[in-house]
Amino acid sequence: MGTAISELPLAIFTTLAPIGAGAFIVLAVLFLTTNLSKEQAHKIDLLSLIPFIVLVIGFLASIFHLANPGHMMHLFSGFGTSPLSNEVVVGIIFVVVTAIYGICALAGVLKTGVARKVFIVIVALLALVFDVFIGMAYMMDTIAGWYTVLIPIQILGYSLLGGVILGILMLSLAGLFKDVCKGGLFATLIVLLICGIVCALVGLCGQAIMVSGISNPMESGADLVAAVAPELVIAIVCLVLAAIAGFVLLGIRRSAALVTIATVLMVAGVFLGRLVFYALELSVGL
Amino acid sequence: MTQYGFYFDNTRCTGCRTCEMACKDYKDLDADTAFRHVYDYEGGTWEERANGIYEQSCFTYHLSISCQHCTSPACTEVCPTTAMHKEADTGLVVVDVTKCIGCGYCHMACPYNAPKVDRAAGHSVKCNGCQERLEEGKRPICVESCPVRALDFGDIGELREKYDGVSAIAPMPPSSYTDPNIVIKACDDARTPEEGDGFVANVQEVI
Repeated sequence: MGTAISELPLAIFTTLAPIGAGAFIVLAVLFLTTNLSKEQAHKIDLLSLIPFIVLVIGFLASIFHLANPGHMMHLFSGFGTSPLSNEVVVGIIFVVVTAIYGICALAGVLKTGVARKVFIVIVALLALVFDVFIGMAYMMDTIAGWYTVLIPIQILGYSLLGGVILGILMLSLAGLFKDVCKGGLFATLIVLLICGIVCALVGLCGQAIMVSGISNPMESGADLVAAVAPELVIAIVCLVLAAIAGFVLLGIRRSAALVTIATVLMVAGVFLGRLVFYALELSVGL
Repeated sequence: MTQYGFYFDNTRCTGCRTCEMACKDYKDLDADTAFRHVYDYEGGTWEERANGIYEQSCFTYHLSISCQHCTSPACTEVCPTTAMHKEADTGLVVVDVTKCIGCGYCHMACPYNAPKVDRAAGHSVKCNGCQERLEEGKRPICVESCPVRALDFGDIGELREKYDGVSAIAPMPPSSYTDPNIVIKACDDARTPEEGDGFVANVQEVI
């Protein structure tokens, strides 16, 4: 777990950024499936600051990972070749477009018509691309424990699961959850929740199973997995319970306490999952 | 363009660590940092035969390596700032400290455990082939310090002509990953990376 703790800022970034991004996917579903009044849309726009702040805190946390943030302007030099540069560029485009969307929405420029729908779909698509790029940033062929498509799948799962739970929290805070969570929105959130928990579990458990079967001359993957087994089990339990709480909430459409519990379980599950991911770093060499 | 590289005589190395210590001393590195590592690679078993006599296949050998100044370095490929780069005229992989953000990607990606992040200095650090000594017409300090002359350094093309050897032995990864610029004269017990039936016995020392 020592490797994971040393990557704490990155673990916080890769926890918060996908969750924040996922909430904008849910917002897109909300505006595409539901006819919100002007007042309802305004409430949602104000609460959209929550996932945006989550996203920004994630980015700020990642800066603490750097030994010299003063040279950050050089981060774009590797665009096209470095997976980290690609991730940062896509992430910044996503954050800027999302910020412009939020400013336009709060300024009243975006009503609930076609322009709003097009803009939020663009934001949601960028969120999905960002999720994939976060995962791909770790896919280096010299790190056997990370060189798998299971990593972007993991991030996508955390994003969808986290996004739905955060979306439920926003709708609850807006006092709209009971009224709007039906029909197309209800069905889509159920699908997203299922996709989220399946991708998260397949990605995380799949990586653990894969790593347990490989080794290098320095360490055995099975030993690495054994060392993080408690964290892995707790992460899986938290993620599954968060998903169950999400399904229950979508069914009964109320219960502030359960919304809080679901949010805490989701964040804890994703964060532990990310720590496990970093602990499973296994080189092809030394 | 010259591509510099190392030669390592695995049949001579006694694992004395003089190369590693000379480098630490010359580069003034702290206790937790080393640009050159000596790996003790061990393996084999003792097995009882039917007649009660034990037969053993135990082996041990030492591998002294630093940065391989690879032709396709994993560290430069993932570097987001291009701070980690290959020098055009020498092929040496070095860090441009005016660009490096100390993200540690090079450290993660390198399968030879070469670059490290020095958080106090604010950038990655690694073997630079003693660039400054080369400019004075000298060889790297590790090469000069070896008491059994197990190391050499120079144009990799010339080293490959001069010495008969391989580009990887266990515990190194297969050379197909990064195309390392090293020639190794392997001892009789040396394993190929693919065989890899031994293990690094001094993990705590080299991580």
